[in-house]
Amino acid sequence: MSKYAVRNLRLCTKDCLCLFVCPVGATDTENSVIDVEKCIGCGACAEVCPSKAISMVPKEYPTQQPKEDAVVGLMKEMVESKATQEAFTRNIQETTDKDGLYRLMKGFEKSLRLLGADGMRESRYMLPQSNETKEFLQKLINTPPSEDFPLEEAKKLLEAMSK
Amino acid sequence: MKYTCQVCGYVYDEEVEKVLFETLPDDWECPLCRAPKSEFLPQEEKKVEEPLVSKPVPTNHSEVNTDLSYGQMAMLCANLSRACEKQYKNDEASLFAKLEDYFVKHTEPKQGSLDDLLEMIKKDIDQYSVIREVADQYHDRGTARALVWGEKVTRILSSLLLQYEKHGEHLLDKQEVWVCSACGFVFVGEEAPELCPVCKVPSWKFEKVTGREG
Repeated sequence: MSKYAVRNLRLCTKDCLCLFVCPVGATDTENSVIDVEKCIGCGACAEVCPSKAISMVPKEYPTQQPKEDAVVGLMKEMVESKATQEAFTRNIQETTDKDGLYRLMKGFEKSLRLLGADGMRESRYMLPQSNETKEFLQKLINTPPSEDFPLEEAKKLLEAMSK
Repeated sequence: MKYTCQVCGYVYDEEVEKVLFETLPDDWECPLCRAPKSEFLPQEEKKVEEPLVSKPVPTNHSEVNTDLSYGQMAMLCANLSRACEKQYKNDEASLFAKLEDYFVKHTEPKQGSLDDLLEMIKKDIDQYSVIREVADQYHDRGTARALVWGEKVTRILSSLLLQYEKHGEHLLDKQEVWVCSACGFVFVGEEAPELCPVCKVPSWKFEKVTGREG
């Protein structure tokens, strides 16, 4: 399987052993992000990294696990409920003059978005490269929901996810 | 006797604490997640897990809507943006974030009181066990995981709302609002907890919520 190296900047302790072992100089960059164009996927850097900050990720991800319609249907209803609650919290943020309530509702909004996103992840949308995601993007490109829809962004995404 | 926090799972053991749970003051809170005393259940009363008999799946739920609402599409794009970030695809992550913003902006606005919000949150809490039953029938442990985290976070949202209704702005006085960026757990306190009581990530994964001026 064809792979390439990625570095977790949070874990990197800048011991820089990767610089010595990389045969193509892909790990030596001004922004610490490993150069995907140069990387040949040999895995030498990941093997020597003393802080385990480098992972080898596949260019092609395996297909997602199948999901049952009954489970997905219920989960999507739950996501819809979170989206409605989020709209409530936005309205309260806009209308309140109290700092505490404003911050609490902003925290709720973030929380509800994460819960909703997690629900969609378990509803056949775990993988951005999946057929489900590509179909979703294709549908939006074919019939954009409004004039201000970010069409170019959707096209770029479909292309990137189809690579 | 032992009592378990329904939010984070912390166990209050009367034998260890040497204080009867009943005698703790009403404003006693969970030492781990600060949920109120009312979120604790005695361990004996915990529901015994039902054996996996093949009950018929409620048919009205088996139809899957392929058309998503704007709210669901906002959540979907939020999820895909996070997934791209996890795959170290930052450009794609920000493109999905733009789509997310678009759908959030176009989601139907809702007006209502804190009580209306609380009502919806409470309905969700009941619904989690309904979905869990169906997920378990299909041995869908990924969904079960999302439900376990989701229910705990939803319970804390409910308890925070109740606390706010009781104490008003006092609840947030000189206190920060923290959100776990992994699971959405919300914590009110001066500092973020060392470990998220729901998903166990370290404190740096918590985001501090800023006020209007910040």
